[in-house]
Amino acid sequence: MSEFVEQSSQRAAALRLHRELAAVWGTGPGLQRLAAVNHSIIGLRMIITSFAFFAIAGVLGMLTRVQLATPNGDFMDPETYNQVFTMHGSMMLFLFAIPMVESFAVYLTPKILGTRDFAFPRLTAYGYWCYLFGGTILTVALIARVAPNSGWFMYTPLSSNVYTPGVNADVWLLGVTFVEISALSLAMEIVVSILKMRAPGMSLDRMPIFGWYILVTAMMMIVAFPPLILGSILLEIERAVGLPFFDPTRGGDALLWQHLFWLFGHPDVYIIFLPMAAVLSTIIPVFANRPLVGYRAIVVAIIALAFLSFGIWVHHMFTVGIPHLALAFFSVGSAIVAVPTAVQIFAWLATLAHGRPRWDVPMLYVFGFFFIFVMGGLTGVMVAMVPFDWQAHDTYFVVAHMHYVVAGALAFPMLAAFYYWLPLLTGRTAVYRLSVPAFWLVFVGFNLTFFMMHLTGLLGMPRRIYTYQGNEGWNWLNLLSSVGGFVMTIGFALVVIDLVVQLRYGRRVQRNPWGAATLEWAMPIPPPPYAFASIPHLGTRTDSFAVGDLRLSLARGEGYLGFARNGWQEALGVHMTTGEPEQLIVLPQPTYLPLFTALATASAVLGLLFKFYLLALFAALATAGLFVFAAQRAGLARDYGSLPIGRGVNLPPHTEVADAPAWLALICTLVADGTLFTSLLFGTFYLWISAPNWTTAITPEPSRILAFGAVAALAVAAAAARGSLRTATAGGKASGWIGLALIALLVAIAAAVGQIAGVVPQPREHALGATAAALLGYVALHAGIGVLFLISNILRQRAGFISPRRVLDLRLTRLWLDYTLVTGVLAMGLVLALPALVTVLGVRP
Amino acid sequence: MSERPVPPRHLWWLAAGFTVWCSALVTLYAIHGIGCAFGWSAGSLRLWLAVALLAHLVALGWMWYGIFRVAPDSGFGPTGAFLYWAVTGTLITALVATAVTFGPPLLLATCI
Repeated sequence: MSEFVEQSSQRAAALRLHRELAAVWGTGPGLQRLAAVNHSIIGLRMIITSFAFFAIAGVLGMLTRVQLATPNGDFMDPETYNQVFTMHGSMMLFLFAIPMVESFAVYLTPKILGTRDFAFPRLTAYGYWCYLFGGTILTVALIARVAPNSGWFMYTPLSSNVYTPGVNADVWLLGVTFVEISALSLAMEIVVSILKMRAPGMSLDRMPIFGWYILVTAMMMIVAFPPLILGSILLEIERAVGLPFFDPTRGGDALLWQHLFWLFGHPDVYIIFLPMAAVLSTIIPVFANRPLVGYRAIVVAIIALAFLSFGIWVHHMFTVGIPHLALAFFSVGSAIVAVPTAVQIFAWLATLAHGRPRWDVPMLYVFGFFFIFVMGGLTGVMVAMVPFDWQAHDTYFVVAHMHYVVAGALAFPMLAAFYYWLPLLTGRTAVYRLSVPAFWLVFVGFNLTFFMMHLTGLLGMPRRIYTYQGNEGWNWLNLLSSVGGFVMTIGFALVVIDLVVQLRYGRRVQRNPWGAATLEWAMPIPPPPYAFASIPHLGTRTDSFAVGDLRLSLARGEGYLGFARNGWQEALGVHMTTGEPEQLIVLPQPTYLPLFTALATASAVLGLLFKFYLLALFAALATAGLFVFAAQRAGLARDYGSLPIGRGVNLPPHTEVADAPAWLALICTLVADGTLFTSLLFGTFYLWISAPNWTTAITPEPSRILAFGAVAALAVAAAAARGSLRTATAGGKASGWIGLALIALLVAIAAAVGQIAGVVPQPREHALGATAAALLGYVALHAGIGVLFLISNILRQRAGFISPRRVLDLRLTRLWLDYTLVTGVLAMGLVLALPALVTVLGVRP
Repeated sequence: MSERPVPPRHLWWLAAGFTVWCSALVTLYAIHGIGCAFGWSAGSLRLWLAVALLAHLVALGWMWYGIFRVAPDSGFGPTGAFLYWAVTGTLITALVATAVTFGPPLLLATCI
């Protein structure tokens, strides 16, 4: 009897806690849903949106297969076909694959790592809206028949103004860049959250392997996206205002685009693959009934894979005329990248071999993945060999290989993940009579479609052609490919029906139906907005504890933060390596700001697209202003000291510690920014050494006075930022120092803009002048962003957000201005060195 | 004995080995591009490439030796031991990758 009373009182306490936390963390009904910032809501929206784009891209793929099913097809005219296949590739890669893997990461990562949300929920929401609006721009362009038509990698000179004079290429350059803002912002969010917001006690050696995969993937994104963003900006500038970065007749080089694109494009394959490998490394041990074999070796393999994937971008350019010796670097690199991949595959096989595997729907897709990925890996090693690649380049063999390693390695683990994690959302399992036939239709259809393309490629069928004569020997292979495409589509349709039916008629299951040992199963189903009623403390590796016991304990509030306080959305910040709790993180509430900021950003993009430059400028300023405004509502307006977090532990809020998430976020931002700057330096040197006509250009005469003036002003600003930090830490008002930094930055901007105005040769006439203008523009832009930092400092100081204990704002400003100074010195130095570099070119044989 | 936390800056070591690999790639590719553009003789270009490769191999070997000669600090507990193992693993694989990726190609014709 007493036990019953005790259980009842515990249940009542858990329910009370649930209601209190739901009131704090919940998103309002109706239009208030647009203000959602919670990772569960945003993650679900991203998953649904990415699948909407997948459906559109899939239909486009089917249209190409209809066109190619028979020779002399007249289903589409060449221009329509160009738009359709370009949009199929672009949507699949930029609007489905990357956002889909990110959406999985957004939805699952906080749950698997035992925290309540990401570090910057408003950034999560902003990223989502940018993705949605960017994707919508591309989709509307397709409907309006002005979609990109130069292939999904937009090679110059085909995509330049001369050969693509309409807005088609601009839609791609602006739309995709817009979507990349989303990818980058989410990547930073993920890195910071994994390193700083794991469950207490989850040291790096105890972190689920899923966390390692997602961490490395997000870091790869931070470094991989900036080269493409830079390339897109430079090409758009060339198209819009005529700066000839890629035009060989004016000192540019079309191959620079290929370098910048593939510096992103090759790592992107692994950015898509690694999260799916995370899924496999999570699912396989559960179904094998044993922990993952080779945890440490897999961590090393992931790190190796991440780096190696960056060093082999030139294998997409084997036929452009690079000398054999350099090609061999990339050929060998492309072959050895198979080794860390193989380490993972053997670890998965060993896990299955040493465990007691059981069969279920997710495992069907796991085995489908093994078959497909090994096939794609083998053809990857084939095309890594230069002589073979020269034969297969630009044929359907490459299309087949690409679909096996990207599409297959994505689709099969993705579907395994759906079947594995949907019970977390629905509390039900799949309808087996539908899921098993669906798998076989997808599997058979996939192989029928893409295996045939190997053969048509080997028979010489070039990619991107809109029709063929019929006497080449490709007819029946193309017909089979098209039939396979329809079989696969029927399979996907059946999967969708299965998932919808599961929501309504699936068999109800217990809360942890697979017997998993990761933390996402230690929460109510479906997951509430606060995820965990209290945050666990972990003492062992997370694949070896009893989830069921933990779930009840957490629901009763027996972990950390098992209460609601001040209406705050509270989470914990931990030490990066040990996972020991070190700060209380107070997260922002739902707000419309991310939506409005994304709308302003979309207006800027549309202004550029339709050449309403004044509107674009106004919208860009509005976006910057909204970011400053958002910063005014972050943090706490007074000192709190240490606050209790439960289990007898007291911690200071994140506003009063040195190692707050925002600090790490700015470091991630600067890494991305630094990669973009390095790509710009690479572009300058590449054009210097490779582009024609540099020796015949007018010798530049940069103003030394303005250059030194700009650098001196940046140095003063950086020194003043230090002064402001010192003063604030000592309890004084830092307004004087901030004002000095502001004036110095305005001087630096004026000096850089003055230099741009006097660049010789004229930036529109020659790439030499264009690169100088780009370097100077980079300095001016960063000084301008520094001004925004300082304005925010002034406003927040006035509002009481800065005190001797709360100086994070000033530390962030100091870091930004230090970076601006360093890159300013490098950029100005290179601009001053351009005359000497051009002179040196004259001594070439 | 209570464990000391592993300082977060130690995490950079996880990237150290392959950062050197990347540096080797960029350096060798740049030297090769400049050498071919400015018409260096095959012998001197190959020599410069070999010197650059050797410098990177020495750097990696030195980093590996530096890690190898100190046992994992037991004061850092299991997390320290894990990171020690992972860093050693990345250094060894980076060393092998550098030798395999950039060594044999140096025997090929330089600028054809």
